[in-house]
Amino acid sequence: MRRMFTRAGAALLASAWLAAAAQSPAVDATNAEMAKQQQAQQLSQPLNNQPVWSEVRSGAKQYTSIKGRETDVLIQPEGQTWRAARVPLATIGGFLFVATLLALLGFYLWRGPIRLRGKPTGRMIERFTLVERVVHWTVAITFVTLGVTGLVLTFGKSVLLPLIGYTLFSWLAIIAKNLHNFVGPVLVVVLPIMIVLFMRANLFNARDWEWLKKGGGMLTGEHVPANKANAGQKILFWSMVVVLGLTLCVTGLILDFPNFDQTRQTMQIANVVHLIAGVLAVVMVSAHIYLGTVGMPGAYEAMRDGYVDETWAKEHHEYWYNEVKAGAIPAAGHEAPMSHRPA
Amino acid sequence: MARMKFLCDAERCIECNGCVTACKQEHEIPWGVNRRRVVTVNDGVPGERSISVACMHCSDAPCMAVCPVDCFYKTEEGVVLHDKDLCIGCGYCFYACPFGAPQFPQTGAFGVRGKMDKCTFCAGGPEANSSEEEFRKYGRNRLAEGKLPACAEMCATKALLGGDGDVLADIYRQRVTVRGRGGDVWGWATAYGQPGQAPGQAPGQAPAKGGKS
Repeated sequence: MRRMFTRAGAALLASAWLAAAAQSPAVDATNAEMAKQQQAQQLSQPLNNQPVWSEVRSGAKQYTSIKGRETDVLIQPEGQTWRAARVPLATIGGFLFVATLLALLGFYLWRGPIRLRGKPTGRMIERFTLVERVVHWTVAITFVTLGVTGLVLTFGKSVLLPLIGYTLFSWLAIIAKNLHNFVGPVLVVVLPIMIVLFMRANLFNARDWEWLKKGGGMLTGEHVPANKANAGQKILFWSMVVVLGLTLCVTGLILDFPNFDQTRQTMQIANVVHLIAGVLAVVMVSAHIYLGTVGMPGAYEAMRDGYVDETWAKEHHEYWYNEVKAGAIPAAGHEAPMSHRPA
Repeated sequence: MARMKFLCDAERCIECNGCVTACKQEHEIPWGVNRRRVVTVNDGVPGERSISVACMHCSDAPCMAVCPVDCFYKTEEGVVLHDKDLCIGCGYCFYACPFGAPQFPQTGAFGVRGKMDKCTFCAGGPEANSSEEEFRKYGRNRLAEGKLPACAEMCATKALLGGDGDVLADIYRQRVTVRGRGGDVWGWATAYGQPGQAPGQAPGQAPAKGGKS
């Protein structure tokens, strides 16, 4: 008799637990299963709270009457992972940036500027149209702004803070953060335009392989003919502008607009990807800026004025020069305005 | 020197949110910011547990480690505080914190983050103790007045304790000793009886018919 009562009591309890689990607003099927297991454990190990703490540690959603983003998560374990990933990645990135600057300095001291071998003819060829130049410089100014402010925000704590002190660095960081957050969306708008505009000239063809095998003659000083864009420029275009640029745009938007209730984990992943892509892009841009200014006379003028000397065209982009001369590329070869002619 | 700590006894917390209210009232916290919240694990299921959580004033605080302007500092009592004048509102502390302690009053369009706000263990900020400016930015500095955090003081069941870690450990050890027969046996069942069991009945005894579930 007594045993029967016990059994009935146990069955009643079990059904009550099931009902409670089914009614509970905070539990779905998996949580209900967990809760049931917990109930069973409370019978077998009456004083053991371990499953509760395991569940809390897993970062699972619970219930709270405080409304807000993820307020129902008691402990989010991803934050530790994010910290563990970000801090060493930033350190590696910082050293990579410094190493790149040193390598460029070393290259400059070793090779010096890559000057023309022949004499300038004084005859100018149009290399970039006005639209191309405007888009290039819009992207360039926004990118450099984002790069510099990004570097300040990421490495300022270790590099600038000890030099200029807390108050001044905080001001600098506030300016950097706001510039970064407001200039970022500009890049999101102009970068796709640049990709579309420069895509055709950057499609790979068989000649690029020749250029690559000889390293563009960068180290040997050998003359290697190239198209309007050489293989190095094409690689830079597809990796830096397209892949890294678009990655930075997407992750940047996730981080810049936290008002869409994206979870912390989404933002942590976006942040780490943004950090990696940002450092790589800054490193690549450094090399690009070096070659576009001090590293190669004539390159900066090409993007500023849109025109290059025929000798420059022949020595750096011979295939393109030949095509222009043959009239194969109609856009180029306009008569250069007087102001663009070398004195 | 005391090492300040919070301790929430899950066997006692009844999810009344008195601590949340006390905190809001004490510091005149703006709408949308919750320095403290109560989370219930397995809500509505027998064996549910509620815990009040805020900044835990970690020894190795993740927020401190990731802050790009190094605006966090730790007081001699182990309380993690921050300087709102230095804070740039980047949100990194919010990503890193396991407890969801950092709060951002949304001051701008598109969710632009303002200065971070979090539990100060009622210890104010870097400004002069109990000054007008300190209150405006960080709320009351109860520690400077010789008082403990308002949330813990307010707690009706004394589930939430705040104060010197050694004292809290003694209180909790005593509770555990009274509840069970050793450190491994604390739990709801010891404190309040098993489901379906009248309080005071020895655990392990058969549950009564139609009892609490």
